[in-house]
Amino acid sequence: MHSSLSNIRIAGLAVTTGSVVRDFIADGLAAGIDRAALERTAKTIGLRERRVAIAGITALDLCADATTRLLSEMGLDASSIDAIIFVTQTPDYPQPNNASLLHGRLGLSKSAPAYDLAMGCSGWVTGLHQASLLCAHGGAARVLLCAGDTLSRLTNPGDRSADPLFGDAGSATLIEKTGRSTPLHFVLGADGSGAEAIMVKQGGARQPAGPLTERTDAEGNRTHEANLVMNGPNVFSFTLREVPGAIESVMRHAGYSPATTDALVLHQANRFILSTLAKKTGFSEAQTPMSVVEHFGNQSSASIPCALIHGLADRLEAGPLKVVGCGFGVGLSWGAFAGEIGPLTIAPILSLPR
Amino acid sequence: MTRAEQLAALRTDVDALAQADEATVLAALPQWDSLAILLVVSHFEHVHDREITGAQVRACRTVADILNLNSSLS
Repeated sequence: MHSSLSNIRIAGLAVTTGSVVRDFIADGLAAGIDRAALERTAKTIGLRERRVAIAGITALDLCADATTRLLSEMGLDASSIDAIIFVTQTPDYPQPNNASLLHGRLGLSKSAPAYDLAMGCSGWVTGLHQASLLCAHGGAARVLLCAGDTLSRLTNPGDRSADPLFGDAGSATLIEKTGRSTPLHFVLGADGSGAEAIMVKQGGARQPAGPLTERTDAEGNRTHEANLVMNGPNVFSFTLREVPGAIESVMRHAGYSPATTDALVLHQANRFILSTLAKKTGFSEAQTPMSVVEHFGNQSSASIPCALIHGLADRLEAGPLKVVGCGFGVGLSWGAFAGEIGPLTIAPILSLPR
Repeated sequence: MTRAEQLAALRTDVDALAQADEATVLAALPQWDSLAILLVVSHFEHVHDREITGAQVRACRTVADILNLNSSLS
């Protein structure tokens, strides 16, 4: 689906990460993995450190912290927010949703709706589209988009194919209605036939919490039914099949080419995937921020805002930049965007607790 | 590409196969893991412009089977 929305802008960005630094090589050595094998993976995939949340800190806490810092940086009161959209797959509770909990925590107006989007790595773009719709056509002047997860809680420490990848983070993005007519373009899609490629089987209505049976795969990775299990090669195939086309399509709608675009900002899955996607879509590595994963890990729906801040903060604050981006992952789903971002307000990346 | 050229390209792209020949049994290689499978998937995409799945690579027993995978897709 393609959509172009005008009279909106991204006004501010903030990201809060977990506070515990986990070192890929040290963790692997402690798990009995050979150093040469670890270094080979670290070099190929681009893994070094990740930041995970301590017990008791949830995606809601991380996003609430990012929101509070962003509002403070912008000199805004929470009462000026007209709606909250919360993108997460690790909510505090099955009910109520995280958006409602944050609505209460921030003390928002009763006229401000609050809803969650149960999406992962593609979710920030879908949330941005939803927030932009509310501003462009829904009567909202300012929408808070929170996106984040604590996926490190869902992986099994014995699963070396998934556990070392994920960091925990929460983001806050403020989207505002403006008089500026330069549109943001979106291309969104899904392929539910591949849904089982990234999955947590237990904990929902189909398979409620119950006894856990740990299994070991051919490579020695251990998982049980409540773990996030990912078929890496199939997710990689999906990414190569769908993401370049989505990026090229959204660029066509925007009238952009790699030469006229300032940055390609992708979901920070890992350096290998980002490098492959940049090459396939005609972007240079210099145009493509890809260092988030080696500093913070794969942060699910918080990774694009983190990449915008980590790789482009100064240039975005001065703005505008012509940015193309794409999130992709669980669903399987993807969301690409293209448009001018900035000037905007950025709160620095901090961890919680500090 | 000749079969020998295909093997050479595969050995260049997939470090686990750097010393392999067609008869090499994949499971016997110490570095034959999910990362190696991912590199094979990537190799097929950028060298042969073909999409293959991890399951197709996992089903291969020898390096020859990987090369045959390419011919079977032709």
